[in-house]
Amino acid sequence: MSESDTLLSCTDVTRYFGGLLALDHLDLDVHRGEVLGLLGPNGSGKTTFFNVLTGIYAFSEGRAVLAGRDVTRDTAQAVYKAGVARTFQRSRLCLSLSLFDNIMVGNHNRLSLGMTFNLLRRRAFARELEANFAAARDLVEVFSPALADRMNEPVANFPMLDRRRIEICRALISRPKLLLLDEPSAGMTHEETHQLMDDILAVRAHTPELAIVIIEHETSVIERITDRCAVLNFGKKICEGSYAEVIENEEVREAYLGAA
Amino acid sequence: MDNVSQASAARRPDSPQVITSLVMGLVGGALLTGFAAWFLKAESEYVVGFLLLLAVVGAVAASRLGALDRIGVAFGAYEKSLYAIVIAGVLVLAWIFRQDHFTLLMITTVMVYMLAGLGLNVQFGYLGLINLSGASFIGVGAYTSAVLTMHSAIPPLLILLIGGVLSALVGCLLILPVLRTRGHYAAVVTIAFAILFESFLKVNDILGGPQGLPVGAMSLFGWSFNNPITFGGFQASFYMNYLLLTLAVLALAFALVRRVERSWIGLSMDAVRLDETAAACYGIGIRRWKVLGFTLGNFLIGVAGAIYGMMLGFIAPANFGFSDSLILVSIVLLGGIGNPWGLALASAIVVILPEKLQMIQEYRFLLFASLVVLVLLFRPDGLLPRGMRNYLPGRKVAP
Amino acid sequence: MDAALLSQYVVNGLMQGMMYALVAVGFTLFFGVLNVIQFSHGDVLMVGSFVGYSAIMGVIAVGIDNPYIALAAALIAAVTLVGLLGAVIARLFVLPLRSSPPLNTLLITLMLGTVLRESVRLFFPHGSHPKRFPPLLPTDSIAIGGFDLRVDSVMLLIAGLLVIVAIHLVINRTRLGLAIRAVAQDEETAMTMGINFRFVVLVTFVIGSAVAAFAGIMNGLYYNEINFNSGLLLGVIGFAAAIVGGLGSIYGAILGGFLFAALQTVGAVAMPFDSAYKDVFAFTVVIALMAWRPTGLIAERVSERV
Repeated sequence: MSESDTLLSCTDVTRYFGGLLALDHLDLDVHRGEVLGLLGPNGSGKTTFFNVLTGIYAFSEGRAVLAGRDVTRDTAQAVYKAGVARTFQRSRLCLSLSLFDNIMVGNHNRLSLGMTFNLLRRRAFARELEANFAAARDLVEVFSPALADRMNEPVANFPMLDRRRIEICRALISRPKLLLLDEPSAGMTHEETHQLMDDILAVRAHTPELAIVIIEHETSVIERITDRCAVLNFGKKICEGSYAEVIENEEVREAYLGAA
Repeated sequence: MDNVSQASAARRPDSPQVITSLVMGLVGGALLTGFAAWFLKAESEYVVGFLLLLAVVGAVAASRLGALDRIGVAFGAYEKSLYAIVIAGVLVLAWIFRQDHFTLLMITTVMVYMLAGLGLNVQFGYLGLINLSGASFIGVGAYTSAVLTMHSAIPPLLILLIGGVLSALVGCLLILPVLRTRGHYAAVVTIAFAILFESFLKVNDILGGPQGLPVGAMSLFGWSFNNPITFGGFQASFYMNYLLLTLAVLALAFALVRRVERSWIGLSMDAVRLDETAAACYGIGIRRWKVLGFTLGNFLIGVAGAIYGMMLGFIAPANFGFSDSLILVSIVLLGGIGNPWGLALASAIVVILPEKLQMIQEYRFLLFASLVVLVLLFRPDGLLPRGMRNYLPGRKVAP
Repeated sequence: MDAALLSQYVVNGLMQGMMYALVAVGFTLFFGVLNVIQFSHGDVLMVGSFVGYSAIMGVIAVGIDNPYIALAAALIAAVTLVGLLGAVIARLFVLPLRSSPPLNTLLITLMLGTVLRESVRLFFPHGSHPKRFPPLLPTDSIAIGGFDLRVDSVMLLIAGLLVIVAIHLVINRTRLGLAIRAVAQDEETAMTMGINFRFVVLVTFVIGSAVAAFAGIMNGLYYNEINFNSGLLLGVIGFAAAIVGGLGSIYGAILGGFLFAALQTVGAVAMPFDSAYKDVFAFTVVIALMAWRPTGLIAERVSERV
């Protein structure tokens, strides 16, 4: 794969928590349009990697470059603006707000936030609102037409599968370059997980440029949707390659079986 | 526009059901005004007790029969006309009690509390910033009006604005610690400020110390608000001036806060309140909204204080203590966090009830504190919970 | 300033610091196990001083005039009843709100404090007037160098120190303390290890409130007066002390308590303005400290699970 296909390039990413080394000089590239599976046992640093990359935690060492732009020192807001959107392991939707509101939270960058626009120019606001409503509806429709008819219901009314979908819509509405999915199958049945993966594949077909990094435990899911996998253990990358390659890897087997 | 809630989507604004709802809104408004008038007129505590019972039974019955929902729908569809009904109701009450100083003062005080409550509502209800020094910011406004009415020639209407601006500026002193902290930590900053402000007012020499200060009257186009109104055969207490002014200011503030809520600003504030970390991950500028909301809230509270000072004519530190701040927070909690209409109900309960039931006057702090404890335990969304955001009420539903 | 006056300020400052520290320890314990602010804690202290006062009056009414028996009665009554009150508060008002936003707990306990305060004012005989707390400790002085040291002050300070040492031992040397620390560290893991979470919370509230009751009696003995509204300010100061010290650290809370008393003393003595501004000064410094070190001088480990 050529250099210009690299969307995100991380070198030497390191993060300490006190004396604990959560990420240990991690190098990882993500290419445009690929689905990269991030694997590893619990506590191996996968979520920490997301948190460091998205600016929730600072880098202790190393750097990250997204599409030619250094995002190492960026705040969470700035990383998002640069085109990285994510979901959370524990769903972090605003349960009391409507489905539409939740998706608009993700669209914050593209909304007009001026005081006069919002408070005085109500007609212009109404136009912007309608355009956004249509866009949000179209996006939700890709996942589930039934959801698209319930745009004004509070998210608290929806089951887990739908909440995951809404969370992904919230991440996608701003048209990010890179989508980080943190264990989207957590708390769902096998059936539901596969339904969600169908949706993700549909999204992928819709937006071929979008790169996705997905943290996942369920092997059938990984096998089905990833192009490439990277395996972490104790904050280090121990293996990288296709799913078939990584499961054959000796070190990976040891990491999962716990034999050190 | 497909933004009216699902329930109302089924009932288009021109459907017969909404017409019925509108009629019900009118009837409800008339009933409520009548009830309020009777309540304010009531002298004997038995009558007051009976009316309270009636109110509780009426509210429960209305909510069981779905009338409250209907009125809610009507509000969504014909909001402007229903605002008019409410304002008309207040004016009718004002007319009935035009010569009764005390009742007019009470009605105006309810509206002043509501105005301050709107400020807290932005801070606490939308942003999740709990401000336990609300009474201090009322104090800033009131003391500003005292100093400026007595020692300057600035037109009093401008003094209202200055009171709000000064209150917002004093709030800016707290902004750094408030921004750098979350939850409890931010709460303690405001508590520390409330106590600091209270002791400052008590010990200083410039602002009258514990005795307080006199405040000059409001005046507009040369008309002093401390004059009774006489207009041909019509005569009214001077409090009528303040009532009308407060009503006008309150209506403006209400519209402003409503628009804040029904815009991307309100959405951003809600996101900050509900999950700061997630909000930051979606590019929401936490600091920007906190500064804006905290400042806007303190501005409204300061304006309320300036009006209050002018109306009372005399202010003292005892009016702006920590327990008064607690009362303000109780109003927001009792009414329903984030719902400006809840403030109306809660302010009325908190201001009028102790005056009408002298026997509970002594027990009022105990009573309200217990009431808020019960609300937090059993009905944490308050008496009138906040509804879903309706960006453009009254717009027809798009296909 | 002469040595006698200075020593008086120092003793006074130490005494206040001790009381603040005892209150702050309570806030810290509660925050440790439940991540909540028990804002009625200052009023719980006040209730403690009133219970102690009633016990003393009872003993006197029975006709016993030995001050130490009266003191023992006051301590036993206050510590038991107020410990119980703490448990009741935890059980009825704090635990049920665990799933609501944490600010709701702050608000409910804030209102609960008002309920306690108003109840004492309204229902204690002549509750709205300050009560004279009988001096039960010897009031003679020992002359050290050029200044006098009152025996009762020394006894109170030593007693306070002993309580702090006792808390330290309970937390660090007992199985109960281990359970409390385990819950503070990670409640879910503690529960899977077979620790009875509710029980630990209730016991923590009993301990914290009993310590507050002790501080309430100390307050009465030192100032010889108790007042229904003294708890609010003490609570706010204790809370500020706990926060400045870094919520969750007992030693930080003790440090914060003495720090606040030092600020007040400095504000009263060494600042160019009237001593009446001491609270204004102390709270201004607290706000400035919060702006400078938002999570306190001894930083709380913030580890939000994302």
